[in-house]
Amino acid sequence: MEDRVKKIMAEILGVDQENINNETTPDTVKEWDSLKHMQLILALEEEFLVEIPDEYIEKMLSVENIFSVLRSLVE
Amino acid sequence: MVQMLNFTDIISRVRECENTDNYEQSIKIYFLRNFTVEMIEPYLKYNLYFNGIKPEVIFGEYNIINQELLEPNSNLYKVNPEIIILAMFIDNVTYVLSSKDELINLISDLDEQFELLLMNTDSLIILNTFIPSMYSEWGISNPSHVLKSDYIISEINQHVREYVSNHSDRFFLIDWERLVRILGEENSIDYRFWYSSRAPFKNAFLDLYSREITKIACALKGKNKKCVILDCDNTLWGGVIGEDGMDGIKLDKHSYPGRAFFDFQKNLLCLYERGVLITLCSKNNEEDVWEVLDNHPYSLLKRSHLAGWRINWENKVENIDSLARELNIGLDSMVLVDDSPVECGQVKQFLPEVTVMTVPQKIYTYPPLLLRDGLFDTLTFSTEDKNRTQMYQSEFKRKQDQKQFSNIDDYLASLELVETIHPIRSGEVARVAQLTQKTNQFNLTTRRYSEVDIKRFADDIDAAIYVLYVNDKYGEYGLTGILIACFEDDKCILDSFLLSCRILGRKLEKVFVSHCMQEIIKNHNISQWQAEYIPSNKNQQVMNFWEDMGFTLRSTDKGIKKYSLAIYDFKPEQINFIKIVEE
Repeated sequence: MEDRVKKIMAEILGVDQENINNETTPDTVKEWDSLKHMQLILALEEEFLVEIPDEYIEKMLSVENIFSVLRSLVE
Repeated sequence: MVQMLNFTDIISRVRECENTDNYEQSIKIYFLRNFTVEMIEPYLKYNLYFNGIKPEVIFGEYNIINQELLEPNSNLYKVNPEIIILAMFIDNVTYVLSSKDELINLISDLDEQFELLLMNTDSLIILNTFIPSMYSEWGISNPSHVLKSDYIISEINQHVREYVSNHSDRFFLIDWERLVRILGEENSIDYRFWYSSRAPFKNAFLDLYSREITKIACALKGKNKKCVILDCDNTLWGGVIGEDGMDGIKLDKHSYPGRAFFDFQKNLLCLYERGVLITLCSKNNEEDVWEVLDNHPYSLLKRSHLAGWRINWENKVENIDSLARELNIGLDSMVLVDDSPVECGQVKQFLPEVTVMTVPQKIYTYPPLLLRDGLFDTLTFSTEDKNRTQMYQSEFKRKQDQKQFSNIDDYLASLELVETIHPIRSGEVARVAQLTQKTNQFNLTTRRYSEVDIKRFADDIDAAIYVLYVNDKYGEYGLTGILIACFEDDKCILDSFLLSCRILGRKLEKVFVSHCMQEIIKNHNISQWQAEYIPSNKNQQVMNFWEDMGFTLRSTDKGIKKYSLAIYDFKPEQINFIKIVEE
């Protein structure tokens, strides 16, 4: 799952996948603004066939957090 | 038809397109909006790239429409886009409006914005209708003393629709109400992002919205298709005429699937009315097909609707190629409808420019096939559109007669050609703009102009537009040639010169341009001509036109050739069998 998430993040944000690691946050990647965040949520929902509850969306502001939210939804 | 891709793929495709640079056309689109519409960007860009147009999409600041319209130095005016989209989302009108006066005020506020756009810009403007709320705030009761939100929205929408039809040269409408009807509310509105980020639309809606915008952009850039090529069996009717006979084929008003084919033909005639050329290309005995078209009670399509046909047992690829040559139109402006996957596949492989549509398996989805994607959409309609098929039919007669003559001049002389030339008149603006948008082959500079641009040239004392009408003993060709000239000091710059493909090959062009140049000399104090040839994919045939007119080539840069000619070196071309009338 981690790899699929990183791949999608790289596509949506338009950066190399090597630049995305577990510690990546909007502060470390300048492309990750609020619009891109919405796009990212939609792309992740499409990829993992889940609906992310609104209260999680604003918490998913690091790769680590995205993993844990998705894990809880997929399982 | 654009492929369905998922959102991530769309974004990466767009990124790939942005890094390539082989697009012939580009467009600048500006969103004036009162909500978060940026999510449309990937879809809009994807659809435009798919149609060969390189887009630049600019979003005005969030919810400052009036400021942008009223401030002369605003970004909107600096950008000077070709298309402005006034995208407005109204939410919960009931709580905003409580009296009829307030409704009238709201409508007049909208009008004010429309008027500002009309006066301060010369862009095409796209409006939208508003989406009524899903639930009635009064439940099942219908009190007469209150303004219901449904009523408010329908009044506003009605007003917007009327405004657009009254300003159809500049304003276009994308009917959001209809888009929601297609997708359903659940697939259209994203309440989650609406409440958190003022972004009300789901991706499916944004995709559809962007396709509608793309239709308008394609029409503006002359990308519209001009001709439909139809197979017959299982395409115009169900079954095989050669085997099932007149009584056996499925085509009627009363049963399925005959009804679906009947409705398909009905839509086909709408295209005919809009000036689309209808042709047949079918493996059949010719008499069988005429039997249906001439005598079947439910065949709406008649022989008189056809601009050409190939009904034989030859290869379809060659037939289509020869139809294109007969009609003198590009393969890329043709759309084939056929039920055979084999034929469709062959045409796709050998004539990739032709758009191929396969008759769907589910015949009940077939009737709107040719209307759905807006392939034939044009910005404006002119009388020439309505009469187009008759003109092609006269052309067919001309070609038959041509066979009797051994040399081309004798044949041309027998046509009794007349050129009627005059400066543009107000009723001709739409047609002139349309010709600049659609003409590809005989077009020296391929500059595309909107009606507003043409009006501006017409009103400018430092510019002149001459139009050409042609007729011969077989009939009229209509307004088919344009010269646009601009004056700068003692120079006359020939900005655009083009002739519709339907009058090519008659030696009309030099006579037309010579006559215009003589008129210009009479009316303007000039000493030098300047002209250009700008290459496109399709205008190679006029590459040496200015040389042939005696112009001197001054420079060549990336294929663009610039010419000049002193006024005293200009030798007008006259051809004794072409008569000129000034009107």
